[in-house]
Amino acid sequence: MGFIDNHILSLMTFLPVLGAAAILCVPRGKDDVIRWIAAAASFLPLVLSVKLLYAFDRSVAGVNVAGQFQFVEHYSWIPSINVEYFLGADGISMPMLILTALLSFLAVIGSFGIEKKVKGYMALFLLLETGMMGVFASLDFFLFYVFWEVMLLPMYFLIGIWGGPRKEYAAIKFFLYTLAGSVLMLLVLLALYFNTTNPETGGHTFNLLHYMAQSTHNGWLKGFDVRILLFLGLFIGFAIKVPLFPFHTWLPDAHVEAPTAISVILAGVLLKMGTYGLMRISFPIFPDVTRWFAVPMAVIGVINIVYGALCAMAQSDLKKMVAYSSVSHMGFVMLGMAALTPTGMVGGAMQMFSHGLITAMLFFLVGVVYDRAHHRQIDGFGGLGAVVPVYTAFVSFAFFASLGLPGLSGFIAEQMVFLGSFDVFRTIVVIAALGIIFVAAFHLWALQRVFLGPLNPKYAALEEINAREVFCLAPLGIIVMYIGVWPMPVISLMNSSLVHLVDLVKAVI
Amino acid sequence: MTLDKFLVVAAALFCCGLYTVMTRRNAVAVLMGVELILNAANINFVAFSHFLSRVMGGQIFAVFVIVLAAAEAAVALAIFLRLFATTGTVEVDTADQLKG
Amino acid sequence: MTPIAMDTGALVRGLYCILPEMVVIGTAILVLLADLLLPEEGKKRLCHLSVAGVAAAILSALWLGPGKIEGFSGMIVHDGMGLFFTLTILAAALLTLMMATGYSEWEGTQKGEFYALILLSTSGMLFMAEGTDLMTVFLGLETLSIPIYCLVGFHRGRMRSLEGAMKYFLLGAFSSGFFLYGIALMYAAAGTTRIPVIASMMRDARLYGNPVFLAGIGLLLVGFAFKVSLVPFHMWTPDAYEGAPTLVTAFMGAAVKAAAFAALLRVVLLTFPAILPAMSGVLWVLAALTMTVGNFSALLQNNMKRMLAYSSIAHAGYILVGLTAGGVAGGQAVLFYVLVYAFMNLGAFGVIMLVAQREDDGYDIDNFAGIGFRYPVLGGLLSLFLVSLAGIPPTAGFVGKFYLFGAAVRSGYVGLAVLGVLNSAVSVYYYLRPVVSMYMAPAPEGIPVPRPPRSAFSFALCASAAAVLLLGVMPASALEFAERSVLSLLM
Repeated sequence: MGFIDNHILSLMTFLPVLGAAAILCVPRGKDDVIRWIAAAASFLPLVLSVKLLYAFDRSVAGVNVAGQFQFVEHYSWIPSINVEYFLGADGISMPMLILTALLSFLAVIGSFGIEKKVKGYMALFLLLETGMMGVFASLDFFLFYVFWEVMLLPMYFLIGIWGGPRKEYAAIKFFLYTLAGSVLMLLVLLALYFNTTNPETGGHTFNLLHYMAQSTHNGWLKGFDVRILLFLGLFIGFAIKVPLFPFHTWLPDAHVEAPTAISVILAGVLLKMGTYGLMRISFPIFPDVTRWFAVPMAVIGVINIVYGALCAMAQSDLKKMVAYSSVSHMGFVMLGMAALTPTGMVGGAMQMFSHGLITAMLFFLVGVVYDRAHHRQIDGFGGLGAVVPVYTAFVSFAFFASLGLPGLSGFIAEQMVFLGSFDVFRTIVVIAALGIIFVAAFHLWALQRVFLGPLNPKYAALEEINAREVFCLAPLGIIVMYIGVWPMPVISLMNSSLVHLVDLVKAVI
Repeated sequence: MTLDKFLVVAAALFCCGLYTVMTRRNAVAVLMGVELILNAANINFVAFSHFLSRVMGGQIFAVFVIVLAAAEAAVALAIFLRLFATTGTVEVDTADQLKG
Repeated sequence: MTPIAMDTGALVRGLYCILPEMVVIGTAILVLLADLLLPEEGKKRLCHLSVAGVAAAILSALWLGPGKIEGFSGMIVHDGMGLFFTLTILAAALLTLMMATGYSEWEGTQKGEFYALILLSTSGMLFMAEGTDLMTVFLGLETLSIPIYCLVGFHRGRMRSLEGAMKYFLLGAFSSGFFLYGIALMYAAAGTTRIPVIASMMRDARLYGNPVFLAGIGLLLVGFAFKVSLVPFHMWTPDAYEGAPTLVTAFMGAAVKAAAFAALLRVVLLTFPAILPAMSGVLWVLAALTMTVGNFSALLQNNMKRMLAYSSIAHAGYILVGLTAGGVAGGQAVLFYVLVYAFMNLGAFGVIMLVAQREDDGYDIDNFAGIGFRYPVLGGLLSLFLVSLAGIPPTAGFVGKFYLFGAAVRSGYVGLAVLGVLNSAVSVYYYLRPVVSMYMAPAPEGIPVPRPPRSAFSFALCASAAAVLLLGVMPASALEFAERSVLSLLM
């Protein structure tokens, strides 16, 4: 087992793409074989992620301390410009790796219903999974960027080919927005590269840890104006992905047009990459600018919360409503991170994890009803509760989790965000807390219109949720409930790293 | 004869060639303009070589250029002939199928 | 006048140094002879013969190795950089000829002169890439251009082919005139046309302050600008590319550009450092204009060939960014990018050739609708090449662009790098259009049936794809080779 132990992150990253290669070799017409290969190729990383979880030492921080990263793989990749193949995990990336593995597997299972061009779909999906894993595992900026871009095209195709009626428009919009963000990131990448040297070799480096160690006292990066510029470049790049107001307009289109499983991945994993990038790259490299920019970030977070909730309330399309609820929920992450307190930071990271689970459930559930009714108009249903009780129970559970009912994971996360940020920005937090009312309102209102009231006779014979769909939803529900009651396993997973991150941001002059 | 007289002649020839290329719309006339430019360069080569350099480099280059000019003209006239056979003219402006 | 004694040793050494060129020229002559002897149905042997010849030339180039060999009293030198470009050009020629196996059958170019012209043009490119004397460079340039004029107009019955040939010829010959006159003026000022000698004289203020010399360099640059199609000297490119038989278009984009950049690189890297302040400004503007105009014009095109023509202009602009940056890093980036561009460009044209049935209107982007799923391999390959052209990882195009823009940042041209990155973001839009058309547009009834590729053709496509991927994921050794090559030049 030595090989597996030594290369566990590489295996998690590249097993899916091996699966994709295998799928491409399957002859035409054997769709079931393809489906099962895809399931296996995404199940193995999940198994490995469980192994990862047990082997992970929760007491060490990582973040900017090279020696404290775990499962490290460090090789030279392109020696002439010192690009390294540098993977490692710490408390910031662990929850994300697990979330990615879990959601990818469930999304593959959830995609078994896809009939159109299964081969291409599954191959692209697995390529996407490789990109996501790679982003969360890499500690070299160049590698990070490569994986970040590798995700771009599969996503574009998955939306553009298997999407809904306006798929081309949604796909190209997603692509152009994300590309604009990548371009900014690339420019910052170049600037950092040429102003940082590896102390051991004296050459320029892409190693994120070297950036963290040197960026505040090295070359022209010392100038605060330059640092602000670089920080903002990165921030916009990540903000587009989160998406933060005003860069969020691609999200509703992409979500609505994407097939169900892709929406799950998009909302469950891809959005987190933005906030993950801030935690992993922006905050530790630019601690001074982070402090300077904390209030604007908090304000943007609150705008996201309130604006997202209001937009969600105004939607008539169920999926669009869920999409806007993501905008709102990601605002909590931003608010918690901006507070720069341990509680706030952990709350933000917790919200990332919890929202990944909850929103995945929501999109699966919307997909379930769409598969049967072929539309998603909230007002087009009514009284479904009597026809499909199991489904209704799942939806209610997910909606309550999403609006932050105590006892479920969303509540814990949001409370930690509020607790952590209240002392720092009182007014802002009060406004955010009021935003929760809207969040609750649109959930309940939608619940009422779809499931309660007089039964719409068109759907008297609506099919109940089937076993495969329950298989996708149940694990998510169980984890949401488990964390809601006993959040310590997740908190302890990331606590030391995040506390260290806060110290790092606060301490550096 | 001094060097600058040759240079003036060459420069004048170059300008004539340039003017021809710029203003004439007939492909054959443009070709003639190009030949003028090449020969202006030839005069320069020979003159410089004669007055400034002890080695015959310049003269040799001139010979090369004359050969090349002939080859170019041969290819050009072949293309123009095909064009004439197809459209009945070698005016540059009538060839306008390619645009964008 | 010193009498010139016949020195057999020098002659042999000179011939040894141009071994690859001689192999290529010999093959061209053999092809012409064989054309007379072979019966009509055996004409495809000509293609095989050419492929074998180019392969032999590659082997001979490798056999010469990267060590410096001077020939013909320094008119030609086979050094590291020469080897790099020789291999690039020969690889492009080899792939082109492999694709010719199928193309010639469909388009009626199964003729001895077609292959001979390609081979002769290749030999000109090799001379251009290895020439250390401006005169050798000029001769190489003409040797490569004249066959290409013929090749562009090879479809004698097609109006567009002839039109493209005429426009290419007129502007090409015109630019040759500039080029030659520039050489003459530099000769006047420096008394020599040997590039290294001029470079060593550049430290003398009397030379680089001499207006005649500066005018000479300016004219030379204009000549180069025409050949590598820099804006504003690019007008011929879209017409010639669209008009030419597609195989020739592919060859022009890959090989001609490589040769022209090889010579330009030699001139710029060696002579420009002394006059850098003035020249870098000029190059900066040219690069910025070329990238921007190329990309934005490409956005408007509906014809694949024309779109790729404008894209090739834009790519010339990217490469010029590396030249502007100069130094080892810039040179290395240029070398690597020229190599990468040859593969992705040839690959893209190769797939397009298979799909488009007719010259002219067969190349409309709409014509590609629905190809992606009906013919997954072709669709996948074309997507790969376009993605690489757009510079998205993990393809070679990304690494190449990263090096180019990285070199620019390193030399302090941050603005140019920013402009380049933005430009390459814009370019993604038009590179994706064919992809959108292939995969997302509703497939029409009469979807064109691609031609069944010959095995050599398939091999060429797969080799290009493998190169694009390999150079993207494991570029280290190629980059090192490029770096050593530039160092060998600067030493």
